[in-house]
Amino acid sequence: MTRLTLKTVTTEAKLLLIGIPVFIWTVIPVYHLFLFAISPRDSATSGRLWPKEPTLQNFSIVFQQKHFYLDHFWLQMWNSLLIAVTVGALTLFVSTCAAFAISRLRVRGGRTVMNLALFTYFIPAAFLAVPMYKAMGNYGLLNNQWALILAMVTIASPYCIWVLKQASDKLPYELDEAAKMDGATALQLFRLVYLPLMVPSLVAVGTYSLLLAWNEYLYAFLLLSNDRSVTVAVALGSFLSADDSPWELLMTTGLIYALPPAAIYYAFKRYMVTGLTAGAVKS
Amino acid sequence: MASVSFRQIAKNFGKVKVIHGISFDIQDGEFVVLVGPSGCGKSTLLRMLAGLEPISGGDVLIDGKVVNELESKDRDIAMVFQSYALYPHMTVRENMAFSLKLRKADQSLTDERVNNAARILNLDVLLDRYPRELSGGQRQRVAMGRAIVRDPKVFLFDEPLSNLDAKLRVAMRAEIKALHQRLKTTTVYVTHDQIEAMTMADRIVVMHDGIVEQIGTPLELYDRPGNLFVAQFIGSPAMNVLPGVLRRSGGTVQVEAKGQYWPVPTGLAGGADGQAVSYGIRPSDLTISGSGNGIPAKVIVVEPTGAETELLVEVGGQQLVVVIHGRTQAQPDEIVHLIMDGAKAHVFDGASGQRIE
Amino acid sequence: MSQAAALPVQSAPTPRKLDSWEFWGRILVIPYLLVFFIFVVYPVSYGLWLARHPASYVKLFDDPIFFRTVVNTVVFLVVAINVKMAIALVLSGFFIQVRWWIKALSVLFILPWAVPSIPTILSVRFMLNPEWGVINTLIFKLTGLDGPNWLNDPTLALSFSMLMHIWKSLPFWTLILLAGRLAIPGEQYEAASVDGASSWQKFRYVTWPSMRTLYLTSTILSMIWTLGDFNSVYLLTGGGPADLTHVLATLGIRYLRLDQVDLSMASIVVALPLVLPLVYIMMKRLSK
Repeated sequence: MTRLTLKTVTTEAKLLLIGIPVFIWTVIPVYHLFLFAISPRDSATSGRLWPKEPTLQNFSIVFQQKHFYLDHFWLQMWNSLLIAVTVGALTLFVSTCAAFAISRLRVRGGRTVMNLALFTYFIPAAFLAVPMYKAMGNYGLLNNQWALILAMVTIASPYCIWVLKQASDKLPYELDEAAKMDGATALQLFRLVYLPLMVPSLVAVGTYSLLLAWNEYLYAFLLLSNDRSVTVAVALGSFLSADDSPWELLMTTGLIYALPPAAIYYAFKRYMVTGLTAGAVKS
Repeated sequence: MASVSFRQIAKNFGKVKVIHGISFDIQDGEFVVLVGPSGCGKSTLLRMLAGLEPISGGDVLIDGKVVNELESKDRDIAMVFQSYALYPHMTVRENMAFSLKLRKADQSLTDERVNNAARILNLDVLLDRYPRELSGGQRQRVAMGRAIVRDPKVFLFDEPLSNLDAKLRVAMRAEIKALHQRLKTTTVYVTHDQIEAMTMADRIVVMHDGIVEQIGTPLELYDRPGNLFVAQFIGSPAMNVLPGVLRRSGGTVQVEAKGQYWPVPTGLAGGADGQAVSYGIRPSDLTISGSGNGIPAKVIVVEPTGAETELLVEVGGQQLVVVIHGRTQAQPDEIVHLIMDGAKAHVFDGASGQRIE
Repeated sequence: MSQAAALPVQSAPTPRKLDSWEFWGRILVIPYLLVFFIFVVYPVSYGLWLARHPASYVKLFDDPIFFRTVVNTVVFLVVAINVKMAIALVLSGFFIQVRWWIKALSVLFILPWAVPSIPTILSVRFMLNPEWGVINTLIFKLTGLDGPNWLNDPTLALSFSMLMHIWKSLPFWTLILLAGRLAIPGEQYEAASVDGASSWQKFRYVTWPSMRTLYLTSTILSMIWTLGDFNSVYLLTGGGPADLTHVLATLGIRYLRLDQVDLSMASIVVALPLVLPLVYIMMKRLSK
């Protein structure tokens, strides 16, 4: 128990002075969402901190798709999930192969490929959106979920290759030489030595691309338009244009949509933080 | 038969030539040490033998067969790396069994070889541990175990003891030597430490700047270094070298250096009168006496190490190291007299550094 | 004693053959290269081709919306980024303190970054609704006055977009700067204490010199990413009122919806002279 001197008290007070506003600032938009979700329709806007009669009715309406706007809720959730998982898996595959080839096999031109990837990573995705939309049109993939999947893989891969390469460079090269002497082919090296040692980074990278795809709005909105094939993100956006939208249902859906990424993020927190901060700005 | 031959081996990195046409042979069962200062090309040579480095010119032969085009795994060799290169995610047993697993060998054969190697190296109790749980010396032994399991034609060692502390290094040196005596496999060992070379090798290859300076048994290199570089590289403390002039007059031959006359081996045939030479004498071949005979030298520092005493003396502005058995009464700033046997002296040509016989 | 005699051997120089390592290396980069060529090179080339008419640019510069957008973008960049990075710097000093509640708070703090933008931005959008939004309801309750129509005023609307952007990206940059702070050896602070430095002096002479490069690199990277922040503006204001809060990221979509694809591409091309140098700088810093 530290002595209660004036200094310690003022220090703690100063910290609280920062901490409390940070807490409130962080939580407000999310709490507001939560508030709407558990309030009955009319009292949601009353300005109370906690509803007079909290209810789960909104959730039940959403889950049972009991509203015109929610006709395809479960299908759209499924779309979001399917697309996110596919993007995660594909990105993992593409970036792991590339990082292995560049970092361990030291393929000729590996440096160039890495630079191409970095370049793509730095260009803001929003700028690539309209060209991508037109290109997908030319490929005949519009309104096909593969358009979104491949677009997201394109956007997520560069960063993943970078992170994997950074992590992979830390493995001593003598390990590969020892494996070579032991008689390993390149593929055996990949499967038996490289992948097992890269597991934490692979988790970080897979999770990152999965969340990126789940959270994506712009590309989903551009590339998919059919109610049955869009993701929850797009469905939520389309609520906005109508005047008579059921706001409380919208918020409830939004909350449900926001839960999986929050949960996944917190579950894999350790991998994410080390993996992503190390990659973003090389210290 | 597991002999190794290098024929005009050359290596370029881009335009830079790092190895200039080296040729020599290693007999079956020999323990050959490649030694030299950093950057001399010894590791590169080893790696070309291993198949880890492409060969720019010349041939490498194992057992009489040219192996230039063969991949490492087809050369029937095993390598122990400087940093051991153990697979961190596998147990000791799995590390040692890895090469056999890749070849889809029979499980019973694998077990037999692994257990055998473990027994030889005292690794039995460690078989189920992971590398991170082992000490440096233990990891080194696992690396050797991994090589033994392969039952190769040639063992390659790339500075395996550099990462160990001094005491452990001495112990491991003996272990490696004992292993070689037991298995009698041809071994090529790279180090920058000439003591390791002297204690372990059947023959030593001294390398410098991409060429071979001399090949010979340890004592050959010690007693009759072929040039100045080898003379100063082998032996610790290093040989004293003085620049001087060969003097032949009448029947006597001496070297005049730093204002004094130094004895040379009797019957020294080469070298003309007045030729510039380098005179070499090892610190342990010098001794001091208080009496008048011998070359006067001023004592600068006296360093007793217990059984021996190392003195730093000065003759004509040049410092020499003297190592004598036992103690001495000499003090700094005193004048002592250096005594040496001419037969132990070495004379090298002043320009080329080549030995003059 | 001397070298073994060199045998006169006819040995051809080793041909540069394709060893298996190199072979598989090439095979394994193919998936990414395919992705790159099909989904980056082609779209970009096609986009540039669509933007090839000088007439598009004339039309673009004639559009008052375009200039408004450029102004908005510049304001957004200058204000949002500097405010955000300054706060991130301060917060990095906050989160480095060892307290149980600060640790708990840091876990919560990541939330804005982890959750998708749509629900949270919509949530704020509804808070700002002039009739039944929480903010105006509270203002009415407390003062009896009607609160302003927040999103109908371009300045307020843009400000809230910036706030949303900061809300979303602050955690990430705080983490980065926190990592930078953690890399500073504690002894430097101890030495400063012994020398009698105050908190401010410690920051100025120990923390800042070590963090300076990271701060700068982060700012540059943040500029690139903020340029691409579509959601914070589009989902909050839709670019309105009356197209007055568009930024470069949303402008392209506006033209697309108006079926003016050439203007859409042109607006992106026009942004390139700003984006490309920043990208170049980032790549140089990262390959050091």
